[in-house]
Amino acid sequence: MNSKTITIDPVTRIEGHARVFLNIGDDGALTSAGLVVNELRGFERILVGMEADRMPLITARICGVCPAAHHLAASQALDSAAGVKAPPAAELLRELLCLGHLIHSHVLSIFVLEGPDLVFGLDSDPLESNVAGIVKANPELAKKALRCRTLGQKIGELVGGRGIHPVTSVAGGISMVFDHEKKQQIAAWILEINELVPELATAAKDLLLRLIDQHPSLMKDWVIPSWHFGTVKNGKTAMLNGSLRAVDDRGQVKTEFPTADYDRHLVEKVVDWSYMKEVRVVHGGTSNDYRVGPLARVNLSEGYGTEAADFELASLRKLGGNPCHAIVFQAYARVVELLYASERAFQIINDPDILGETRVPVTFKGGRGVGHVEAPRGTLIHDYEIDENGIVRSANLIVATQQNYVSINHTIEKAAASHVLGKSDDAMLLNAIEFGIRCYDPCLSCATHAMGAMPMEIVVKRGRDILRTIRRNG
Amino acid sequence: MPDMHQNSVETAKKTMILVVCVGNDLIADDALGFEVYKRLETEGLPGHVRLEFLGVGGLALLDLLTGNERVLMVVDAVQFGAAAGTVHCLPWDRIPSLGGSAISVHDIGLKETIEIGQALYPEKMPPSIILVGIEGRCFNRMREAMTPETEAAAEKALEFIRNLFRNN
Repeated sequence: MNSKTITIDPVTRIEGHARVFLNIGDDGALTSAGLVVNELRGFERILVGMEADRMPLITARICGVCPAAHHLAASQALDSAAGVKAPPAAELLRELLCLGHLIHSHVLSIFVLEGPDLVFGLDSDPLESNVAGIVKANPELAKKALRCRTLGQKIGELVGGRGIHPVTSVAGGISMVFDHEKKQQIAAWILEINELVPELATAAKDLLLRLIDQHPSLMKDWVIPSWHFGTVKNGKTAMLNGSLRAVDDRGQVKTEFPTADYDRHLVEKVVDWSYMKEVRVVHGGTSNDYRVGPLARVNLSEGYGTEAADFELASLRKLGGNPCHAIVFQAYARVVELLYASERAFQIINDPDILGETRVPVTFKGGRGVGHVEAPRGTLIHDYEIDENGIVRSANLIVATQQNYVSINHTIEKAAASHVLGKSDDAMLLNAIEFGIRCYDPCLSCATHAMGAMPMEIVVKRGRDILRTIRRNG
Repeated sequence: MPDMHQNSVETAKKTMILVVCVGNDLIADDALGFEVYKRLETEGLPGHVRLEFLGVGGLALLDLLTGNERVLMVVDAVQFGAAAGTVHCLPWDRIPSLGGSAISVHDIGLKETIEIGQALYPEKMPPSIILVGIEGRCFNRMREAMTPETEAAAEKALEFIRNLFRNN
């Protein structure tokens, strides 16, 4: 076959995990593009044969980046398997754990992962525009952002019972005595978050708008329509409980269903060039590309139901459209969610129900359990088949990055088509593709975390012959 | 430049050694940090040593510093391109820089984290920061696929760590 393939390879941290390829035909036009994920396999297999009770503990250890999300999805799945509903106090504490994690993760994503793009712009030298660079550019803002991250983490530690891997969310609720002392401590942290977040949100928004001013193409070339998918509760976007909703690329609600029905609405497709399967929403006989995560959630419903978040969401829509498909607005969507998490956490800690009973007794009679949570990067679903002895017989985990996979690949195509093809600037090629992938903040293997200026290698191939190799070295 | 006298007074208050082991105990060579953590915890630690574990490195590391640490030692699986099982014991400023990005398999790299710490919280930073990096090869399979050379290197890393306890 007479075509040229350009492969972009992250060569260090995530070696063996990911590679970007661009197939270019003889006429110079892009024929295909994608992220090849050498997905870490085996988690689902190691769960089989374990006691169901252990799922929240063991699955939290799958990923060092989002342990709380797996912990919560697992305990929600066990509730459904046992046919119990966690008491209101447990639901509030679970939501608090989820929000603490969201705050911690979103602050890192905005200020650390996307920070260099926002502060230094897209054309800057990656050696200068790294994480330490943005800290030095505005140390006071950086301190506030890191403090906010720490506070989110602390809430997670207190509610989750342990720093790294949370342990308290179990089948039937929360296995922790939540007393006045703990409540006061968390309330103090939330007040501090409430003070920090508006300032951080304004700073992040200003940086984003400046970036868009400098690069008007972000609102033209980087607009990638798709369906959106995520969690709604009482008609509003939510992070925990509720049902799953898909809206189309015009913002119309197409379907909404309980978690357990996900396998009737989402279809996986194997592709021969990657271990990661593509996922699409099936509706009315068609299968539809979709995305999850912050940019999906802002498009799911009229809003989040808290004042500052919904006010900012109105401003996002004014600038980015409704539904918004501009991928650079992922950062703006995170700002909206940071405001929401701050406001919602305040509501939760002041809800008198939080001091009630946190656990109901549970026995497994055998059957299926499905649970989900909105992880910072998008919907996470855990699905277990449990036998009458309480042993897991099969497990299926649908993670956010897998669901964003089709959109990530479209973004790479778009980046290549408008920023790379026909131009000989290697740095531009690296920057554009890295930026596109970074907007999704992908967690490529649930073990490693692609972040910052990913060290890349580009291999230009014709058939099997390597024509040239481009590396960005430090 | 800080005043020398002031600097030595500040340093005198710092008496602790903090060992932070990083890794994912479910994943092949990534479990090495956890392995070292477990063995150190089992064999007991001198009074001036504090031991912590982190699932991923990055900024969470800064939260563990109290300002009383004289030495920070980070134990992690690395991919520096040496043979599997090679133990790299490097002061943080000699950790190879890879395009301004991370060098370990976790989150933000140690070098950047330390740079951030020194820019924002100089008073909290220990005068001595050392990476004990154990060269791994397999990061995309489960724990049972740990590279034998990497696994065997845990003891070598522990020897270095114990020596450091004795001499500090």
